[in-house]
Amino acid sequence: MSRLVRAIALITVIAVVAACSGPSPSGGGATGSPGAAAKPQYGGSIVFALEDDPIDFDPLRSRAFIDRNVHYQIYDSLVRIDETGKIIPWLAEKWDIPADGKTVTFTLRTDVKYHDGSAFDAASVKWNIDRYRTAQGSARSGELAPVESVEVVDSKTVKFNLKTPFSPLLSLLVDRAGMMVSQKAAEAGGQDFTRKAFKAGTGPFMLTEAVKDDHITLEKNPAYWGKDKNGNGLPFLDKITIKPIRSSDVRFTNLRTGDAQVANNIAGKDIPTIKGESGLNYQEKPAYSFRSLIPNRAKGFVFEEAKYVKAVSTAIDRKELLEKGYFNLGVAGYSTIAPNHFAFDASFKPFEKADPEAAKKLVSDVGKGPLTFTLLVSSGDPVILQIAQLIQAQLKKADITANIQQLEFAQILDQQSKKTFKDLSFVGWSGRVDPDGNTYDHIYSGRPFNDSSYSNKQVDSLLDQARQTPDEAKRRDLYRQAEKIYVQDDPARIWLGYGAAQLATSKKVVAPPVYPDQIVRFQFMSMAK
Amino acid sequence: MGQYILRRLALMIPVAFLVTIIVFTLVRLTPGDPVLVYAGEERDPETLEQLRHEYGLDQPMPLQYVSWLTHAVQGDLGRSIRTRQPVTEAIFERLPATMELGLAALLISVTIALVVGTLSAVKRNSPLDLLATGFTLAGVSLPNFFLGLILILVFALALRLLPPGGYTPLKDDVLDNLEHLILPAITLATASLAVNMRQVRSSMLEVLSQEYMRTARAKGLRERTLILRHAFKNALIPVVTIVGLQVGAIIEGAVITEQVYFWPGVGKLVVDSIAGRDYPVVQGVVLVSAFSFMLSTLIVDVLYGVLDPRISYGSRGG
Repeated sequence: MSRLVRAIALITVIAVVAACSGPSPSGGGATGSPGAAAKPQYGGSIVFALEDDPIDFDPLRSRAFIDRNVHYQIYDSLVRIDETGKIIPWLAEKWDIPADGKTVTFTLRTDVKYHDGSAFDAASVKWNIDRYRTAQGSARSGELAPVESVEVVDSKTVKFNLKTPFSPLLSLLVDRAGMMVSQKAAEAGGQDFTRKAFKAGTGPFMLTEAVKDDHITLEKNPAYWGKDKNGNGLPFLDKITIKPIRSSDVRFTNLRTGDAQVANNIAGKDIPTIKGESGLNYQEKPAYSFRSLIPNRAKGFVFEEAKYVKAVSTAIDRKELLEKGYFNLGVAGYSTIAPNHFAFDASFKPFEKADPEAAKKLVSDVGKGPLTFTLLVSSGDPVILQIAQLIQAQLKKADITANIQQLEFAQILDQQSKKTFKDLSFVGWSGRVDPDGNTYDHIYSGRPFNDSSYSNKQVDSLLDQARQTPDEAKRRDLYRQAEKIYVQDDPARIWLGYGAAQLATSKKVVAPPVYPDQIVRFQFMSMAK
Repeated sequence: MGQYILRRLALMIPVAFLVTIIVFTLVRLTPGDPVLVYAGEERDPETLEQLRHEYGLDQPMPLQYVSWLTHAVQGDLGRSIRTRQPVTEAIFERLPATMELGLAALLISVTIALVVGTLSAVKRNSPLDLLATGFTLAGVSLPNFFLGLILILVFALALRLLPPGGYTPLKDDVLDNLEHLILPAITLATASLAVNMRQVRSSMLEVLSQEYMRTARAKGLRERTLILRHAFKNALIPVVTIVGLQVGAIIEGAVITEQVYFWPGVGKLVVDSIAGRDYPVVQGVVLVSAFSFMLSTLIVDVLYGVLDPRISYGSRGG
């Protein structure tokens, strides 16, 4: 009897949990929201306090992370990721990659129109990809360099011919390189299109107003094709006003006073407060972004000696940095491959515990006396300065002297790119969907973000193989082999950890889940009932 | 007078020319590559070269200057490297917000300074005078960004009386505009209020100690008439100089306040542009700012003549 009661109770619990459970990704790209009822409320306007003012609305020119916060609302890409980072169909319903990996054929949705009424079809995809590949000053041409040509097979089928097999292609088409823009709108906009990309996408919202440094207005696309898992048409909100507010204190205050309902990039120090506020919700998960120290490993610089890089990596206490420097925002880590990447190895913890004695030994093995160097940090950011001071104190325990120098970000960037910086610099990376995007350009010999002048033939070969192998399991092994070398044996950098994707919202809205790319999916947001 | 004004206006051209050379050289001597900053996380070398070419940054500096100047004299200050917005459009789009904030702050500052400064001088060492001196010290010592944050915390967060920042154009909603204006205007007014109040007080004290004031008092004039009709006007000359300079500095004066309250003015534009090494915008803002400064000093000089008839702008006086 009691077994029967337990069974009934169990079934009831499962049924209740299932009814209230979070979203499950659907092919149409629609997910619900955690705790949302089956029929969310339609209508309403919200204000989104964003950390900076977006620069380029045209994905072709866009180079800043901040721009993507608008792009994801007004444009759709060929494919997207779900909240776990898995690539899912979007404007392309399915795709086919043959065994040789030299082509990718997409089958497109047929129920999609641009905001300006023009048709979305295979010809439009070809126009967009060719534009990204060949237009003067395109920020996408490097990403799409492996694409040889794009062929229109029929109105709903488009084929990408690749120069060589290139496994990360789909992950690039998730973002700006795969975003579809109306040819009519782009051509009419001309030089001003990137500032006035009005009604130019197929996305859930339309850009209708953009006043620089003041606000951006996005209005509901009433003809949007997306539906949530219950079949409800998306989006739910009528209007989003984006306000660029650079100070995290002021952003947070706007959320607390009700002047904004959504805010991003909340400072670590404010997280305990936000969690304690009855009118606010806070969600967080590890992002693709990483935090690292870049040593100048070029000839004639201190860190030309690999043992010094390893000594610094060994002496740093990442757990303490996370707790005291980042207020537990994000996670400690050691590599480019983030927790949401398929190749992430949770057991790879080469410098889990700081070991000042081992660091001292590495320095003495070099035989050139104590290690002293300059640690460059961007001026005007007190949080980064505090973290640098914490690192300085940790290194002191291993008799390593780090002299902190503050420089303007533009200067650091200039010196890094010319490989003239002394000696260790502190610059973050916003992260990419595929491990390749977090690794190749930073580690591979001579690539644009390889600011440490790192060069290791074996690592280069492993990274090349990982690009060309379509098999995910094989790619996972290759990345893991490579990271062992560029993190541990012959370190390219000193990784400190991974950033966090955050979403702070007022309880007046039903928030969507957080995505590891840190972009809010407003189409799933609705006003609370 | 007319001739004097014309001559002063003509003099602005060589000054502006010098300003352009200095600014053009200085922004380019500042370390940092605008294209690299703009490139952010997309650093394809071929594209970077294309961008440098597109903005003429691959040309020798003198050629870049000549090209910029040729366009500038025709009213074209170029396009922003970061946003591609025409620089003149970027400046004039933001100018109303900056002017509104700057003028509101000046109005608060000058009105209070005149009233309290005069009273402090007349009632020297009274509690009011001591209070005003204390306020002056605090006003000068408190940085704008700190005062701004304190005001936001008190009036926006704790009391929920006013919005914590933002801007509504005057033409859209007057009341909403004023609500958003109060905190930034007070923040911006505080530092100049302290200076102006001190200036009014000391200038008034000086005038009050003059012999003609003693004579007027001896003639039996009422104290109010004495202060308002005889002392006040004479005490205004140094005040006009300082306020005139403050009017000229409106564009650059609000830089920090605009950042704190995300007030979409020229100050915010210039901060972003300097950090991003956006040469055309920095050059444009400095040029406009230099002209506004020169114009305001001209107006101040003309006002001297109105306040003090002994000052004349004859052919030998200019």
